[in-house]
Amino acid sequence: MSVLLEMKNIHKVYPNGTAASRGVDLQIYEGEIHALVGENGAGKSTLMKMLFGLEMPTSGTILYKGEPIALSGPRDAIKYGLGMVHQHFMLVPSLTVSENIVLGEEPKQGPLSLFRDRGTEEKQIAQLMATYGLKVEPQAKVETIPVGQKQRVEILKVLYRGARIIILDEPTAVLTPQETDELFDSIKALVAEGYTIIFITHKLREVMEISDRVTVLKAGKTITTLMTKATNPEEISRLMVGREVLFRVNKRPAEPKDAVLSVKDLQAADDKGAPALRGVSLEIRAGEVLGIAGVEGNGQTELVETITGLRRSTGGQIRYLGEELAGRSAGRIRAMKVGHVPEDRQTAGASLTSTIAENLILDHYRNPAFRRGPFLNARKIKEFARTMMQIFDVRAAHEQVAAGSLSGGNLQKVVIARELSKNPKLLIVSQPTRGVDIGAIEFIHSEIIKRRDGGAAVMVVSAELSEVMALSDRIAVMYEGEIVAVLDNTEALTEEEIGRYMLGLGTKTEHPERKEQEAI
Amino acid sequence: MKSVKDIYLELSGIAIAVLLALACGFAVILATSSEPLTALSSLIIDPVTNPFNIGTVINKAVPLMLTGLALAVVFQAGVFSMGAEGQLYMGGFAGAIAGIYFDALPFWLHFVVIIGCAMAAGALYAAIAGLLKTYANANEIVTTLMLNFVAILTTSYFVNNVFKDPTSGGAARMAYLSPEVLLSKLIPGFSAHGGIVIALAAVVIVYLLLYKSPVGYELRLVGKNGKFATYGGISKNRVLLTSIMISGALAGLAGIVEILGIHGTFKENFSAGLGFDGIIIALLARNHPIGIVVASFFYAYIQVGAQTMQAGSDMPREVAVIIQVMLVLLVSAQGIFNFMKHNMRKKGGVV
Amino acid sequence: MWQSIWSQLVDMTLVVVLLRYMTPILLAALGGLISDIGGVLNIGLEGLMLISAFTSIAVGSASGHWLVGVAAGMTAAVLTCLGMGFFSIKLGVDIIIAGFAVNIFGSGITIFLMSKIFHVTGNYTPDQRTPIPTVNLPFLQDIPVLGKLLSGHSLMIWIALLAVLFCVALIYRTPYGVHLRAVGEAPSAAKSLGIPVNRIRYSALAWSGAFAGLAGAYLSMGMTSMFVKDMTAGTGFLALAVVLLGKRNPVGILIGSLIFGLASAITTIVQTTEGTAIPSQFVQMIPYLVTIGSLVVFEARKRKGAAVPATHTI
Repeated sequence: MSVLLEMKNIHKVYPNGTAASRGVDLQIYEGEIHALVGENGAGKSTLMKMLFGLEMPTSGTILYKGEPIALSGPRDAIKYGLGMVHQHFMLVPSLTVSENIVLGEEPKQGPLSLFRDRGTEEKQIAQLMATYGLKVEPQAKVETIPVGQKQRVEILKVLYRGARIIILDEPTAVLTPQETDELFDSIKALVAEGYTIIFITHKLREVMEISDRVTVLKAGKTITTLMTKATNPEEISRLMVGREVLFRVNKRPAEPKDAVLSVKDLQAADDKGAPALRGVSLEIRAGEVLGIAGVEGNGQTELVETITGLRRSTGGQIRYLGEELAGRSAGRIRAMKVGHVPEDRQTAGASLTSTIAENLILDHYRNPAFRRGPFLNARKIKEFARTMMQIFDVRAAHEQVAAGSLSGGNLQKVVIARELSKNPKLLIVSQPTRGVDIGAIEFIHSEIIKRRDGGAAVMVVSAELSEVMALSDRIAVMYEGEIVAVLDNTEALTEEEIGRYMLGLGTKTEHPERKEQEAI
Repeated sequence: MKSVKDIYLELSGIAIAVLLALACGFAVILATSSEPLTALSSLIIDPVTNPFNIGTVINKAVPLMLTGLALAVVFQAGVFSMGAEGQLYMGGFAGAIAGIYFDALPFWLHFVVIIGCAMAAGALYAAIAGLLKTYANANEIVTTLMLNFVAILTTSYFVNNVFKDPTSGGAARMAYLSPEVLLSKLIPGFSAHGGIVIALAAVVIVYLLLYKSPVGYELRLVGKNGKFATYGGISKNRVLLTSIMISGALAGLAGIVEILGIHGTFKENFSAGLGFDGIIIALLARNHPIGIVVASFFYAYIQVGAQTMQAGSDMPREVAVIIQVMLVLLVSAQGIFNFMKHNMRKKGGVV
Repeated sequence: MWQSIWSQLVDMTLVVVLLRYMTPILLAALGGLISDIGGVLNIGLEGLMLISAFTSIAVGSASGHWLVGVAAGMTAAVLTCLGMGFFSIKLGVDIIIAGFAVNIFGSGITIFLMSKIFHVTGNYTPDQRTPIPTVNLPFLQDIPVLGKLLSGHSLMIWIALLAVLFCVALIYRTPYGVHLRAVGEAPSAAKSLGIPVNRIRYSALAWSGAFAGLAGAYLSMGMTSMFVKDMTAGTGFLALAVVLLGKRNPVGILIGSLIFGLASAITTIVQTTEGTAIPSQFVQMIPYLVTIGSLVVFEARKRKGAAVPATHTI
């Protein structure tokens, strides 16, 4: 096989000083499926943006069939036959599928080619669909079609432009297992036709299943490229993380007490009105961590939002220390000592243009202890903020710094400091360490465990299965808006077993008798 | 709050924008006037050379400060109300009616009642747009703009019919208020009236409200990041209503102060765009109360300068509009400010 | 009074007046529509109309031909829009603020120029009148009702109606229209396909200038034969309201403009009718109240519409 595309010693430093790539080498052979793996923040997406002309490398060369090329925009990339299916779909919701596919390259007709030629458009799309077995409804508006079909639209867009190299950026993150299988079939069909595929993912199962070769990225550098057949998930995982276990948390066995939160048959809809929770029941006791595992988009977000009052439930109960939470406002629930670290700290978890102090006093500004007459007590706030910053090791010059200037890890520490500062009896943590540096990860994990040992009921939701396994005492697996399994997190529990439930391949729910045994 | 360096950058950026805007105005004068030096000197020097003009600058700054504050409050809450003009009319109208009909009260109480009625009327009128937004999700830019017309027309009807002073002849106005409730001159012989005291007091109160009180904390949080506020359990609708009503009260205050200080009673079309000038003031001041004081004086200075220029040369006072427009555009040009920050970082080598 | 209004309704005067008032609203709203679809909502329509109204009558009477005047008015408005684009796209001024500035600018610059060039304040009536011609349809004009309905209108009324069709074709039938919609709705998606996002935004603003320019020219050379300071008197804001109510669709814009035209027409007829019991101020308020009312109804319907799939997708 010949080398089609090559990246040599690519560096990328953003204007704000972040170095996203620090020496990347990548060789793509013609006609292969090349997997690109690495942790969040390893620089996969930046690399692909550079390959697609959306970002320019600070230094280094890109070669196409041995010739150096400059990619200063998507148009250049398209010219060299590169096509990209973005992780967040680049579709225009109110346009039809057909309009989206041909966008920017519409067939034209009429005087001066001023008008769209919808007949040709229809024919060409029908032909593409037939050739590659990618089924879509050309006349449906994109906002009305399901996720799997949106992805097929993205692939058709790329094919329509005559791409020969297709970059798929985490294509399975939003797909159901069936959709993933269909996607893999399409990918195989494309490779059979002579297309080259670059497949970005952090799911090792998929790497093993579909790729010919795999390149491992870590901290912006290429670690190595391996033949998939000659390696195994353990080796890749070791190379990705650089140590045997991603998350190691020192903790004693849990000593759970009475139930703090018990959710029964909870139902709720997603933003589009489709059912997202289809009767979720779970229980968290004081002094234990319940982990929620699952492929993203299976109702985890909605579950957390419904419990914390940010989303209206459409049925079921949420009992918290003997009181019903359903129907209460987010403010009332927060005041009942429920701590919530939201998954998206940049928008929901913090106000980036406010100061650290303003972010920290969210639950306290109404508290008389923070008042002086009708006004806020500035001295008290400063004292409180400084103390919190010290305890939670927030590294910033002072408490009046804008939260937006903090690194991901420090910002997360601010969020966690705030949520823990009210001594929550129930602590819900979503994606505790997403985009957080290694040092901060260990700190955050140990704080969570400290709270558990202090008697709080903790719920941890994470897309990183290894994180859920490291922190949890019990693990509930969500699949399509239901809890399909609740498992004790023992030494014997393997990622593979949880993975089976995550993919909806089995169910295992708690029996009341067994729960009592556990409690003993 | 920002670091000292950021504030310095912001201020120097605004100063550059102001200078550029003035340069545009000067360029227009140089290009179109047959006596450019006379025009320029009457624009720049005349407003500050005699006590009468200085007094006029102060008097013009008063309503600008109040409407500027009114808009700063809503803008900080992320509400794009353009309704200060209508609220100002409603406030002035209600205050003037109180002035006429509660004449029997002792004068200090009378004064307080007048101010109270004006602020209440402004707040209640603003609440209409607030309620339309919270209950019907009607875009506040459009509703407030429309309500401005409604307020101006409604008050116009009443001042032409029901409450018209029979002795006013052709002029559409109410009866003059008793002189004791009017804002007297600060210093005899100097034209500045007591409104400046009220305006500065309002600046202090709004500053404390925005930056030192729980209400201001909620208000600014909603404006900066509504999602975060919702997550924190702050009701966006309540904050929206609070902010727009505070804003309306300040606009109403602007209206009645203008009446008590300048006009003596409610006259048809007495404002001529003070509410819209307030938008410019708030933009120039980056919605900060202290900035509003500076911006109001500067703006009043330009306006008075434009008048003295019109009187003293061949230039119409609309030249000031060109300066105002350039001010609005340049001060809100984020591109320029980002560019400056970027360059400073590069030079200082600080990340 | 009611009798008089009724008779004007029957003899088609109402329709004629309605068409006259609808035209500037419709043209300006179509301009606003294109800018809105392109994601750069232009709230400066009021100022643009003033600029064009002044330029077109000044150039029209100086050149002696209405067409030159209209072209000059449109050019002035388009140039203003490109300047607005420079500030908002290049320098990062919020598009709403840029539009607000254009409104102040339009009012101020026209008064300034009127004073500098014609040495008048308040209003300017040229000695040489160059009105936009009216279209008299032969034969039809002699038929009683139909004649009054269809014949004798200003050419601009027909242009406005044709502009609706033009916009439908532009937005839905051309690749440009699809790009416009893509840029307005998902700029990053458009960018990823190599569509020149900023150029499209500039063009959307230019369209809004062109249409607002036509509207302005009609005010000074069609509806009247003079320029009066601030003669738009809120027409641009009504057009803006129509844009927000028109569901991003030229036909919706036409319907909205008809409603507001009707409100204005009723205002005029009631005001000019002898023995009117309704004070003029309240009649003048009608369009503004209609705007608020229709905005509320529109939002309520939108929410109801959104709720339907939510309950039916199980």
